[in-house]
Amino acid sequence: MPTISIFKDDFETLLAGPQARTSPVSLEQLEEWLMLVKGEIKGHNPETGELRIELQDSNRPDLWCCEGIARQIRIKQQGKLKPYPFLKQKPRATQLLMVVPGLERVRPHIAACTARGYRVTEEGLAQLIQTQEKLADIFGRKRRTVSIGLYQLAKIQFPVTYDLVKPDQARFIPLGMETVMTLSEILMVHPKGLEHGHILEGQDRLPLLRDAKGQALSFPPIINSREIGEVRVGDEDLFVEVTGTDLPMVVLTLNILAANLADRGATIEPIETRYPYKTALGKSVVTPQDLNKPRTITMETIEQALGQKLGAPKVKKALEVYGYNVSVGKKTVKATPPPYRQDLLHAMDVVEDVAISRGYHEFLPVMPAQFTVGGLSRIEQLSDRARELMVGLGFQEIISNILGSPEAYCDAMGLGETEWGRMVAVDNAMALTFSCLRQWMLPSLLRVEAASSRAFYPHRLFEAGEVAIPDPSHELGSRTSTVLSAVLAHTTAHFSEIHSCLDVLLYHLDRPYTLEPLAHPSFLEGRVGRIVSDRVPLGVIGELHPEVLERWQIGVPVVALEVNLTQLAESK
Amino acid sequence: MDISALIDGLHPLEIKVLTAFGTSQAGVSLATEQLVTATTLEPSQLSMAIEWLLAKQLLSVKSETITPVVSLTNIGETYFEQSSPIERVLSAARGVSSTGKRLTIPDLHTKEGLDPSDVSKAVGRLKKEGVLLIVQGGCIESTGRPSPAAESMRALLQQLHEAPRELESFPESHRQLIQDHAVKRGNSKEPFRIDDRVTRAYVLSSTGVTAVDHLAKQGVAEEVSQLSPELLKDGSWRNKRFRKYTISLRAPRIGTGKKHPYREFLDTVKTKLVSMGFQEMRGSLVETEFWNMDALFMPQFHPARDIHDVYFVKEPTHATHIAEPFLSRVTKAHENGGTTGSTGWGYTFDSQRAKRLVLRSQGTAVSARTLAAAPAVPGKYFSIARCFRYDQVDATHATDFFQVEGIMLGEDINFRTLLGLLNLFAREVAQAKEVKFLPAYFPFTEPSVELHVRHPRLGWMELGGAGLFRPEVTLPLGVSVPVIAWGLGLDRMAMVALGIHDIRELFTDNLDLIRTTKGFF
Repeated sequence: MPTISIFKDDFETLLAGPQARTSPVSLEQLEEWLMLVKGEIKGHNPETGELRIELQDSNRPDLWCCEGIARQIRIKQQGKLKPYPFLKQKPRATQLLMVVPGLERVRPHIAACTARGYRVTEEGLAQLIQTQEKLADIFGRKRRTVSIGLYQLAKIQFPVTYDLVKPDQARFIPLGMETVMTLSEILMVHPKGLEHGHILEGQDRLPLLRDAKGQALSFPPIINSREIGEVRVGDEDLFVEVTGTDLPMVVLTLNILAANLADRGATIEPIETRYPYKTALGKSVVTPQDLNKPRTITMETIEQALGQKLGAPKVKKALEVYGYNVSVGKKTVKATPPPYRQDLLHAMDVVEDVAISRGYHEFLPVMPAQFTVGGLSRIEQLSDRARELMVGLGFQEIISNILGSPEAYCDAMGLGETEWGRMVAVDNAMALTFSCLRQWMLPSLLRVEAASSRAFYPHRLFEAGEVAIPDPSHELGSRTSTVLSAVLAHTTAHFSEIHSCLDVLLYHLDRPYTLEPLAHPSFLEGRVGRIVSDRVPLGVIGELHPEVLERWQIGVPVVALEVNLTQLAESK
Repeated sequence: MDISALIDGLHPLEIKVLTAFGTSQAGVSLATEQLVTATTLEPSQLSMAIEWLLAKQLLSVKSETITPVVSLTNIGETYFEQSSPIERVLSAARGVSSTGKRLTIPDLHTKEGLDPSDVSKAVGRLKKEGVLLIVQGGCIESTGRPSPAAESMRALLQQLHEAPRELESFPESHRQLIQDHAVKRGNSKEPFRIDDRVTRAYVLSSTGVTAVDHLAKQGVAEEVSQLSPELLKDGSWRNKRFRKYTISLRAPRIGTGKKHPYREFLDTVKTKLVSMGFQEMRGSLVETEFWNMDALFMPQFHPARDIHDVYFVKEPTHATHIAEPFLSRVTKAHENGGTTGSTGWGYTFDSQRAKRLVLRSQGTAVSARTLAAAPAVPGKYFSIARCFRYDQVDATHATDFFQVEGIMLGEDINFRTLLGLLNLFAREVAQAKEVKFLPAYFPFTEPSVELHVRHPRLGWMELGGAGLFRPEVTLPLGVSVPVIAWGLGLDRMAMVALGIHDIRELFTDNLDLIRTTKGFF
């Protein structure tokens, strides 16, 4: 879900199209239009005209830029997407890109084009850089699958070679540096080398893009040459390339960049790439290239999913103003999405586009007519009943985090290496405070008790909620149980007092029980018992050990009970 | 104030004091000591009753006498038990005259350990009395005469050890000695202390006189404050007067048995959902990536997976197995769409990764399990599930939180019934009449909707997200009818209703806050 920055006047210019008159757009108007791109304004600086926009759809990288947002809205206003001429154009025979053998094992794919006649503006450059970053970072998984390079075309002599070299064989001045560095030096010293170098880990030869004169353009996917690979405001002719591991993704990325530059007034010329090995698109691949094929969907699918009879003309119109190329038959729609999109996995994706294009407000809500019987799960009913009883016994309910620390759940309770001390721990904990799931609930209540010495006594607290109990015999390695725990804390808190509460509770939950002596490190010896019903252990009751109270810095005696309600429900 | 109401409100202690005045001559003033005798009350009780009567303006202070009273300080007590500096100087001087040794002033400091200022004071006085002589070489010699000052000091220590006494009761010579050896500012190491004792005499005010008259007329029915079983049993309550309480006082506080206000809020949501025909589902806190994400058609290596950064379980790392046929069907859906009509994501599905155990990051995992367990058609299900997100904890992000979400299955489910259900939620859960439906993105639904409502108090707010489950989700799990998936974001509503601004306070450890928060109606 990327958030991008755009400038309002840049957006207005793009919305009007090159050489057209712009008209101001109000924020309200923009907000409404943003529904077309699942976008939301997150911030606006009226002085600079900067807008922060969050784009929800992680499958629509074409929308993560000012050009893409403006384009989607512009098509709606113009009624149809004007086809991009460069998709039909033949590449110049002189503009070739050659791939050397061996890259199929390193970073197999590359796609490129040229963009002439657009003088790069400050805002245009900012968008180019932002688009490059968002596409490579999010869509390209931090450059692993897709990375992008932009160059000054005038300095390049064709054919360009996508080469494979030994790490110390090639050297150039990378962006952000003053001196010539070898590829291995870049990997060891340059910030981008350190950040992305792992992508090339284990390779004894590394990718290098160079021109016919042997000048290095870049070291994909790490860094460009400062000499050729730095685009500045005022530059006119650009060379654009995308490398990566998945050819359709690489081509799609190039299509997006080409469409963006074309929307800004550049003339795009395709480039032919020649591979020494087979690719999904053959050995000779001309890019940009429209990879989309028409998709046939029945009208019935669309109308049933939307719950509305629309008819073919309305569906055709809706898809066209959303950028599709559409032809309709009697019962079917044949729709081809625009070349900068590749997110249609299922007919339902087209259905949603019909709905978005028409506007959700066009669909009248219908109250579901089906009759169903509602109800609570058995464990929730039991838990609610137990909670009612605890409230009746004068206890205040508490809610706590389930994710906590081994210190609270185990060490402070004196459980150490005992069977009660086993917990579900988190592998990637951000802090020890939130690193394991509670295996019992009493510590959650002691957390409140420890913080409440100033609240008037007596303290009668309870919580009903979930715990995770490790269980090697369970397919998930643990069981989630609903348990009830209660504590009583005041100057004369006594075992018999909490015992009376347990007695009332289990009487009304209709479970006869006995208490069996137990050795449990959290409680005083001889003042703790296992709650057993029909030979099934249901929990524990007792007077907390002074050592435990000391660790929690609790200054009054505490008696407690804990009953596993899931166990109680299942054993009944 | 009405006099009888005033009398009814009198405390038994107050009545005792007033009665003491009533039996004395009219207009007479009584001092505190006299009142102690007349009422037989403890001094603390008496002073309490007098304070009340003064506040009610039934009594007034007639006169105030200040008497200096002498008592022993801690040092004085030590002097009494051992001996005072003057006594020690004298005995040291007499001691050397019998042995013929020499005694100088520095000797008194070093050998006797006496304070220099005490020594010079004592020696000065004894010399003046002619008891000591300072001879050549600064030696001290005893003349053998008795010292009135040392004897007086012993007598005073003895008398004051027994009890403090008024300064005026001592003869002039003793008074001088006391003044010389009394604690003053800058000199706290003295045996005597002189305090001012304030004695007040009280007299009845005119209202007080009226009250006493009333009390006298009313007779002597014994007043009780508490009805007891004994009084009821023998009927003797008939002869008693029950003191009226000042009911305008604040009630003493008591601890209550009470549900947690946030839980109460969730309970109302639960009740609403059940009343709309939803059946509750439960799930596990620990889930596999399969049910948490794969079954929801979130590709294993795709940015969409970034939406749910999750906690991974340390031990065991993987589940023992994933139930078939779901694993194979979901694998196919991801790889090439299988029989779902989808192209799939086009990558190689990692079934080992599917078994990776995580803390449930979204309630939709519970829905996925339900879909795979032959749900009723038509059917409606909900869960209020605790979920865990790998987020930095702050005022708007908690590590674990409740997610309210669910599904609805049926032949007649479509985009418009989805909007209808959301309308129902808006009205029933948020009491909102105005709604807005915005296009949204969730990896597992298509079309997807965001529900915005105009809440009566909060204004426009996002209430939830929903959509129709993608066929790539439902078909592999064995469900062939359309399914709505919905989720409600209720924490903001809960926080406003509870008057808190920090999401962490929903799980607060502040007992006072939990006890006093009013909750929901």
